[in-house]
Amino acid sequence: MIKFKRPRLQPQVSAGSMADIAFLLLIFFLVATKFIEDRGLLTQLPPNVPPTDVQIKERNLFKIRINSKNQFMVENEIRADLEGLSAEIKEFVLNPNNDPGLAETPEKAIISIKAQRGAKYSYFINALDLTKEAYYQIYGARVGLSSVEYRHLNRDNPIENQKYLEGKEGLPMKISIAEPDKVSQL
Amino acid sequence: MRFRKKQKQNPEISTASMPDIVFLLLFFFMVTATIDKSQDQLKLEIPQAQAITKIQKKFLIRELHVGFPKNPNLGTSPRISASDRIIDISDLGNWVQAQKTDLGEAYQDQMIVMLKADIDVDMGLIGDIQVELRKHNARKVLFRTLEDI
Repeated sequence: MIKFKRPRLQPQVSAGSMADIAFLLLIFFLVATKFIEDRGLLTQLPPNVPPTDVQIKERNLFKIRINSKNQFMVENEIRADLEGLSAEIKEFVLNPNNDPGLAETPEKAIISIKAQRGAKYSYFINALDLTKEAYYQIYGARVGLSSVEYRHLNRDNPIENQKYLEGKEGLPMKISIAEPDKVSQL
Repeated sequence: MRFRKKQKQNPEISTASMPDIVFLLLFFFMVTATIDKSQDQLKLEIPQAQAITKIQKKFLIRELHVGFPKNPNLGTSPRISASDRIIDISDLGNWVQAQKTDLGEAYQDQMIVMLKADIDVDMGLIGDIQVELRKHNARKVLFRTLEDI
């Protein structure tokens, strides 16, 4: 017994290996976990009330349609792709030259996106993305930022939050996402 | 020489605190992250987009997956998966209610449904989901997209 109690041997359990074990666990959790995904295109659906008959002037409505064959129709014009759509929406919303065919005022502009049954989700997302991009470009331009800079404004920071609010002030993003027609299902 | 003697007497000070630091890191990751579990039933290829924004209140997010089943016994048409279970569109209302109860009274109306859908999914189904969500007053929808580089 005396042999084991030799004073030169320190009676500690080696703590060095503890770190290795903890590191192993750490690496396991690093690999096996994911952070909550929080990025995407946020939209607000309309309330579930029977549709009311609101008259919207044709000139205030920008129509994007996707049919079941994944063809686009923008403002009653058949299109092969959506190239340049953001620029068109910007033109439509802001209407710098007071074109009678475009929105009366930016606030009155409504972008309507409608996809038929059979259309692919990716095409719809593409249209929605370009629409939102157009709005973010407008918002950004109002406070002297690019669309990317505007979207990355940190709202916890009072100065940046101020810019964020200034950019979108009085100009709501009016995007209507209609449900696919029931008729075309039959 | 004196210094060496001292070091021999007490050589383990630095390593003893090391596990504590690592454990702290470990707990941080355990708390901030959730275990990824629900990706195995459906094929999900997330679309890309540019105009992406970030949600501030992450705890409001509830995930809904729409994709094609990997298991051929489940058919080839797109299915909905919520909380790691494949559900029918008719069960969606119950799911929404359950999630709302889970969120608590104060935040019920702010619930954000994150729709994670495959690029090839039919818009008809997405539309049906939107109708269901509207019916149950879960009207904030986040279309999950990846950053387009």
